[in-house]
Amino acid sequence: MASSLQTQHETQSGVYTFSSRPRAVPNRPKYRQSAPLLNEEQSSYGNIMYDRRVVRGNTYAQPILPITSQPDPVEFLKQQEARKRALSRKRLKEQFGPKTPEPLEGRMNIDVQTEMYLEELSDHIEDVSVECQTDMFLDKPATPLFIPAKTGRDAATQIEEGELFDFDVEVQPVLQVLVGKTIEQALLEVLEEEELASLRNQQQVFREIRDAELVEVQRLEERERRLRVEKENRIKQQKAVLEEEKETADKIAARAFAQQYLSDLLPSVYSNLKDCGYFYDPVQRDIETGFLPWLMEEVTSTLEQRYVARTVLDMLIQDVTNQRLEAFQMKE
Amino acid sequence: MASPRTSEQPPPHIDPTQAPVAFGSWAIPRLLLELQDAERFTRQRALAALCDLVHDHERAYDAILSGCMERLKVLLQDEDDLVRVKTTEVLYVLASHSLGRDAFLKLDIVGPLTSLIEDPVNACRKNVHQALNRIAEFPSGAVFMVSMGLVPKLVLKVSDEEESIRALILSTLSCCVSVNALPALESDAVPVLRDQLSHPSPAIRRAASSALVGISVPADGKMKVCEEHLLPILVKLLADDDRGVVANAAGTIMNTAVITKGKSEALDAGAIAPLLQLVVSENTAVCVNALRALTVLAEVPRARAQLLEHVPLLKTRRTHPNTIIQRAASTAIEVISWRP
Repeated sequence: MASSLQTQHETQSGVYTFSSRPRAVPNRPKYRQSAPLLNEEQSSYGNIMYDRRVVRGNTYAQPILPITSQPDPVEFLKQQEARKRALSRKRLKEQFGPKTPEPLEGRMNIDVQTEMYLEELSDHIEDVSVECQTDMFLDKPATPLFIPAKTGRDAATQIEEGELFDFDVEVQPVLQVLVGKTIEQALLEVLEEEELASLRNQQQVFREIRDAELVEVQRLEERERRLRVEKENRIKQQKAVLEEEKETADKIAARAFAQQYLSDLLPSVYSNLKDCGYFYDPVQRDIETGFLPWLMEEVTSTLEQRYVARTVLDMLIQDVTNQRLEAFQMKE
Repeated sequence: MASPRTSEQPPPHIDPTQAPVAFGSWAIPRLLLELQDAERFTRQRALAALCDLVHDHERAYDAILSGCMERLKVLLQDEDDLVRVKTTEVLYVLASHSLGRDAFLKLDIVGPLTSLIEDPVNACRKNVHQALNRIAEFPSGAVFMVSMGLVPKLVLKVSDEEESIRALILSTLSCCVSVNALPALESDAVPVLRDQLSHPSPAIRRAASSALVGISVPADGKMKVCEEHLLPILVKLLADDDRGVVANAAGTIMNTAVITKGKSEALDAGAIAPLLQLVVSENTAVCVNALRALTVLAEVPRARAQLLEHVPLLKTRRTHPNTIIQRAASTAIEVISWRP
């Protein structure tokens, strides 16, 4: 099945060559396999050292079969000589080796048994025919359990309970881890809470102080404010009172002055008015305003009439004169 | 049975609800990669694992620095409930670190968080409020939240939510209010808080009263508190069991009594007697607030006359080791003994 990769060196055209990839030589099993192997690669590989087909021993002095079937002439001669030499050696041995003497006349040499117990020599070989027939190809029997021969000394040992595995000792690290992890987690959470609690405490203390101080501040502020407002009110009041007093004093002074100033106001006023003519005698006024204009009017109208009459007269005279003139002129 | 060879199987996966965590420094980046997965189950498992890991400070810092905040911000709007719950839980844990809080403010995660206030899932809402509470607890966070206009929404939500969440909302409110009380006043927080003052749970009462303390700091707040007739309720709360509630009630009274109207109303409600009892309390906050309240109330002449008899009691407080109490006691004595 396997062949090497070397191709024949004298490749002529048409010479059959076969080449395949190198494969490990599978072991030929003694018994037939129960199921034919599908994949040849899975066939069991025997150890190449135990393969009967492999050449054993030294290979440098072995008679190597020639590659060609034709014997080499040199080899052939050598072999012939060797054969001749063997023959001669054999003849020599025959010649000089001890031989049985020739029998006397009338006698024959026969072979005689000289051992203690005689044996029947015959050609007839006692045979017992025993038939043996192999069963039809049997399946490979189950390989017997390889129980190597017992060598050495027997020694027995027994492991008592608790020697290999001591639960109490073994469980400690596991328990430590479990409990430790749980406690660690719990501690972390508790630490968190404690931290926060301490922060809150601090805050609380601060807040108390702050609240107290704040209220103190506010109280003082309020007090200040109240006092200030009170003070301002008082001051305002006071100021108002002063203002009032001042005003009253002013008023009084002003009144006195005014009175004094106005004391001779009245007569002067009267005299002024009288000068301006506001006090008049009504009859006189009446005469002045009523009668006299009327009189003047009448006089004027009378005079006008007279004037008008004179004008008319003038016109008449003029007219007449003109006519006379014209008449005179005409007469000329 | 233990054998010397390590098994070729991967280690047993103990918790199937969590993603397997890679070893060492590859854990967080791998979980972040899984968070972007399209498969919902992977995301849930990765989030569950991240949730547990992030409690460790080093892992938390690792996660923040490798940019998991952006991923979480995107996941806040996921449709799946469990994803949202776990995301909010992770954000809540990350908010406890300052680096996380910085990232919150820088990347404006508060915006999407506030939109989740109306989420139908209870656990999600609770985590959201817890995260908001944490952020509000530190100053720049509270300032940011106030500037974002979160306060009106929170005020609206106070009456709707269930108990545990209500306490959280109220404490968030009180932190915001201590920064700036005006938005809360504008959104009518005072009546809401008044209703909460009578709640059976002490945590809610405490948070509501601390919010009131903050609200009564500006002048408008004081007027509002007087108008809503809160002072009788507060005087009643002075006898409460919880020390925090008592301290806060005394604080509110002391703030409100700064204005004249507040003083008169407080005196009408009979605040002096309980306050005198509280002066000897061991709790610093209660003692200080009571002293200050008495100081403020002592500006009114008739209260002063009443308090003059108790000056020896206040003198004992002056020897207290705590400086604030000493100062408060000395100012109180000063004011009470002042003559015009």
